[in-house]
Amino acid sequence: MSTTRTILICSGKGGVGKTTSTANLGIALAKQGKTTVVLDADFGLRNLDLLLGLENRIVYTAQEVLAESCRLEQALVKHKQEPNLCLLPAGNPRMLEWLTPKDMQSIVSLLEKRFDYVLIDCPAGIEDGFKNAVSATREALVITTPEVAAVRDADRVIGLLNIQGVAPVQLVLNRVRPRMMTNQEMLSVDDITDILALPLLGLVFEDEQVIVSTNRGEPLTLGDSSAPAAQAYHNIARRLQGEEIPLMDPSQARRGLRARMRKLMQTKIF
Amino acid sequence: MQGLELPNHHVQHWRDALPVLLNQLQPGAISLDCGAWLLTCGELNELRKTMAGMGCNLLEVSATNPETLVCASALGLSARLSSDLIGSQKPRDAPTTDSELLFHQGTLRSGDHLQSDGDILLFGDVNPGALISADGDVMVWGRLRGTAHAGQHGEKQARIIALQLRPVQLRIADVVARGPEDQPQTGLVEQARLQDGEIVIEPAPAQGFIGR
Repeated sequence: MSTTRTILICSGKGGVGKTTSTANLGIALAKQGKTTVVLDADFGLRNLDLLLGLENRIVYTAQEVLAESCRLEQALVKHKQEPNLCLLPAGNPRMLEWLTPKDMQSIVSLLEKRFDYVLIDCPAGIEDGFKNAVSATREALVITTPEVAAVRDADRVIGLLNIQGVAPVQLVLNRVRPRMMTNQEMLSVDDITDILALPLLGLVFEDEQVIVSTNRGEPLTLGDSSAPAAQAYHNIARRLQGEEIPLMDPSQARRGLRARMRKLMQTKIF
Repeated sequence: MQGLELPNHHVQHWRDALPVLLNQLQPGAISLDCGAWLLTCGELNELRKTMAGMGCNLLEVSATNPETLVCASALGLSARLSSDLIGSQKPRDAPTTDSELLFHQGTLRSGDHLQSDGDILLFGDVNPGALISADGDVMVWGRLRGTAHAGQHGEKQARIIALQLRPVQLRIADVVARGPEDQPQTGLVEQARLQDGEIVIEPAPAQGFIGR
């Protein structure tokens, strides 16, 4: 009996940070000593490889593995700095039609024999790509942002996951802006958990560093970044493993920044 | 013979579930369980053709809906009344008198649609984007934040009751109203009903459903 955890990372709406979260969580889990594979199920518009800086190393995909034209080891792309992490693209962007839920299940069961964690980066939407990805998973992380449209889509996706019997389904709230939240210009954490009624696994604050790091192909969690977002992803990875770490509080975070500014004003530089 | 079971009609439309269900089939003989769905001759024939394209042979149909069974027989399929019909029909001590009450536990999420030919009692929330509709009354033991339609076939006496009545839209019979925008008063159960052709919201009477 394998103890591998297969986790689907999905959101419904596009652009809320599925791929970014997959990359960062993958690195964070690998850093904590878990052998991890990230499976890019969004192969029509694949970009998990870009975020991980592995684009130029992809030779084969899961498609070739299933067709037995290469071995699994050949298709797995090991991360440059983090040997515990591998990437497997599910397919070739030019051949969209081949993948069925059954194919997805066989890929995942191959991966489950070798890794502690299988993270599946789900495509946006709830069409075939989503259905394929869901068919192969046991758990799911739903990523959403404090926006009405993202929460609505997340709600729909959670409903579909429940029908498919995926459990547990947990929530990650991404791109939180503490200032807007305390000024009530954005949906609050309570508003969102109230509607979605799921355990909140983590809050990730909006952070320019995330954009910089994804463009560079080095996820934020890879370095020793002290950015709150990096910390948040490390915490989510640890909570996934059952550790209890208190959630960040947006209103406290803001006070923290202010306090830090005040401290800075009091130093002799100014 | 392989069994193919259509989803519960309260959970998901069978057409939505079909691609996934068909994908799981192996070539061979198929026995289709329609549950309470009404499948017309055309739909059954279409299903049979789709399955034939996959190397499957639809031989048997079971259902609780008599019309589905008639259609199946008309197509020359072996039709069988589902055995769970006896168990799943009206509970003996149903609290309703003339109409049937559908009880459902769980939250309706965006995109879900729960409907009934009689009254509905939902034990859970109706989230924005979800729809709950009934020929009779809609009662929500939870927060109603989606769309609710009571008396969907013209029953003007139908009412909508919820612990927290803050829907996107309310419909009673053929009258439509937007939900209230102010914050709900906590601890006050409200009901919506038709008065002079308009939907009004008022505190729900304690004995609102007795003796109707």
